[in-house]
Amino acid sequence: MLTSHPMIELRQLHRFFAATRAVNNVTFEVQRGQVFGYIGPNGAGKTTSMRILATLDLPTAGDAFVDGFSVVNDPDRVRGRLGFMPDYFTTYPNVDVREYLDFFARAYRLYGKERKQAIDKVMAFTGLDALAHKPIDGLSKGMKQRLCLGRSLIHDPPVMILDEPAAGLDPRARIELRTMIRALAEEGKAILISSHILTELAEMCDQVGIIERGQLVAVGSVDEIQGGLRGETNLVEVRVLGGTDALAPWLEKRPAIGEIKTEGDLVRFVLAGDEDAEAQLLKEMIDAGFRVVAFGARRRTLEDVFMQITKGIVQ
Amino acid sequence: MTADANVAQVKTAPAASQATRIDRALEWLGERLNPILVKEARQALKSRQFLLAFGLLLIAAWGWSLIGLVVMEVGDGYGQTGPGMFIGYYCILAAAIGVFVPFGAFRSLAGEQEDRTYELLAITNLTPRQIVSGKLGSAVVQLLIYLSAIAPCLAFTYLLRGISMPMIAFILIYSVLGSIGLSAIGLLAGTLTSAKHWQVLLSVVLIVALLLVTWFAIWISAELVDEGDRIFRDQDFWPVMAIFLTVFVTYFALAFYAAVAQITFVSDNRATRLRVIMLIQHACLVAWCGWAFLTQDDEVIFALVGFGAFHWAIMGALMTGEWPELSLRVRRSLPQTFLGRTFYTWFNPGPGTGYVFASGGMIALMLTTWLVLLVGMNGGAAQNISDRVVTGVMAFSTLATSYVIAYLGAGLLLVRFVRRFTRTTLFSALLIQIMLVTLGTAGPFVVASVVDLQAIDDYSLLQITNPFWSCVEIFDHRNLPPETPVLLVVVPLAALAVFVMNLPAILKEVRHVRIEKPTRVAEEDEQIEAALHPCQGPVPISPWDVQ
Repeated sequence: MLTSHPMIELRQLHRFFAATRAVNNVTFEVQRGQVFGYIGPNGAGKTTSMRILATLDLPTAGDAFVDGFSVVNDPDRVRGRLGFMPDYFTTYPNVDVREYLDFFARAYRLYGKERKQAIDKVMAFTGLDALAHKPIDGLSKGMKQRLCLGRSLIHDPPVMILDEPAAGLDPRARIELRTMIRALAEEGKAILISSHILTELAEMCDQVGIIERGQLVAVGSVDEIQGGLRGETNLVEVRVLGGTDALAPWLEKRPAIGEIKTEGDLVRFVLAGDEDAEAQLLKEMIDAGFRVVAFGARRRTLEDVFMQITKGIVQ
Repeated sequence: MTADANVAQVKTAPAASQATRIDRALEWLGERLNPILVKEARQALKSRQFLLAFGLLLIAAWGWSLIGLVVMEVGDGYGQTGPGMFIGYYCILAAAIGVFVPFGAFRSLAGEQEDRTYELLAITNLTPRQIVSGKLGSAVVQLLIYLSAIAPCLAFTYLLRGISMPMIAFILIYSVLGSIGLSAIGLLAGTLTSAKHWQVLLSVVLIVALLLVTWFAIWISAELVDEGDRIFRDQDFWPVMAIFLTVFVTYFALAFYAAVAQITFVSDNRATRLRVIMLIQHACLVAWCGWAFLTQDDEVIFALVGFGAFHWAIMGALMTGEWPELSLRVRRSLPQTFLGRTFYTWFNPGPGTGYVFASGGMIALMLTTWLVLLVGMNGGAAQNISDRVVTGVMAFSTLATSYVIAYLGAGLLLVRFVRRFTRTTLFSALLIQIMLVTLGTAGPFVVASVVDLQAIDDYSLLQITNPFWSCVEIFDHRNLPPETPVLLVVVPLAALAVFVMNLPAILKEVRHVRIEKPTRVAEEDEQIEAALHPCQGPVPISPWDVQ
């Protein structure tokens, strides 16, 4: 009987560069068909973790697994199962799009018709079929990103690691990339993706991990992360007439309210609770004599959570 | 369809089927070619550099042909102009295959590391051996293209008289082999560093070395052409060629697999294959020692033992820089039986096993020399050998072996000490060893210059740490120097002491035992096995089970 295992697993992963703890005790899992968003400021340790997963670097301690195989001890078994798209694009001179894909298809041991079909499929999926014989040097940034994604898909790996795939893309290309990534997840691939564009990650990811200074500071589903640890939380904005001096202390006394900020006649705070709690709070404010002229609540976005959790400190 | 058309179709059918067959054969070949070779051939066909180099080669060859024609026109027309023309063409070819091709191989791999395309290549299913052989194959293709361009010119020199076809073939074969060997060295150099500044330095060193080797090849070729076919009739010609080929093949394999090891994943076993090649090299060396003793004069044995000592000192120094811990991956394939552990443990990666391997190699060389001496003296071809040669060879081999063991052991102790503070590599271990030997060699001179300036000129026991002078002293004198007994006691004892000091660490490495494969790996291996050999009914386990 085969053992069950996550498709990607980081187990107490550490990577130190002299005194810098680039990755410090990171643990998480990505299941088949899941898209895991890996978020963090520059220098947080995202790329280092991804390079370890791609067998391009070794951990100082701990281990990482792809489809149950250790990246340290079985890199040969990991590599065939992995599609890695790094945050840089390098290519060979005097090579066109089809030759580039053909080379990598051969390198992944695809032969004959199988190779031709794989190249055609990838070119159709990434929309590169019209540029088959165009030299790579002449491609636009977006097309190069597509080619890079195509290269990482050529052997149809069950695990994809995408490091900043949307960097430098125009809005249309970003939307297309998002659609492609969701389509890959629906095919059953486990995808680990890092990006700075958090709104997009929120839309395409099933799970999110926030890393700062090498440490995973939050991990969970997008809803869990946006809801916070206390359950569902919303950002509330209230505008009152007659000044906010009395409102802020009044709000502070309530246990479900936190992070109160005042700007002119506007008060912003985080409310733990659902819509009933919001209605109840509004009623209590009016009953308490506050002249409320605006009361708006919205769910916390991934960006809000990110800004709240991370300090932006670079190692 | 008309009758004429039918006839035409029948006539063209065999030709068409033959073309299809050729197409299929080419497609089959193309599928099986190394992907890197295919890619680099495609790139080269479109690259300006290649076209420029090839164009220059052709222009130079045509230019030289024109000069030759003018010279012949001016002369009486009866002289033998073949050798002169050949050397001219050979200079052009040598520049292409001695400098361009090996340097291209170096840049090909170094450039991949520099441009970070290597990372994408490394995570494919291509093995390190395929990557290196692909690059080497690409260098060989270039070499063949250059050769095919200039071959008609070289053949033309035969018609001009003064040079024979066997001589042309002989020089070309060695040049091709030399170019392939240099390309392997270029590839090894390409794997040494990915840091830009080191690569620049390495490029300069490599170009200078290649220019020197090419100049040397041209000089040797000119000498050979001058010598003519007489060299083929020399009685030592074939044995010497066999020695050259042995050296070439084994060192080529060593450079090739060293390049492979350099790009192999760290947790993999990068040492065993290299040690197997070293063992084969050693066996060849021992065999040639035996041959030299039975057929040649004693100086050849001194040279071979000296070469062996130098070889093991370098290889041993590199091996002492290996990481002392065995990865879990390597530990999965360790020998299990007593015999396996006794004989194969020394092929496992590790500085301690490497030290024992190098010391063992040197001791084996020494014992073989002694054995050959005994066999030779008791009825062999060398029974009339003088006592001086016997004692000289024995003393020389003992002393060389002891120096190798002592210095490698001291180097290993130092590497172990340095490793407490920083990470050491193969090259830092080699550097430590070079520093140690330099200290042992230069130290006595410094002391002598302080104590007594006259002592610098004459060998004395002060030079006991100087392996070179001590060994040369034994080899050089008609009678053994008076210091020989002391040297033969002190140096082996020092080697033994250093070996014993290293013993605890060696034993620690030897104690590693095989571990089980992880469950996931075992599962996949079973799946692969089942797919390769599908079970068709019960497997007979004894002859009586067979119906």
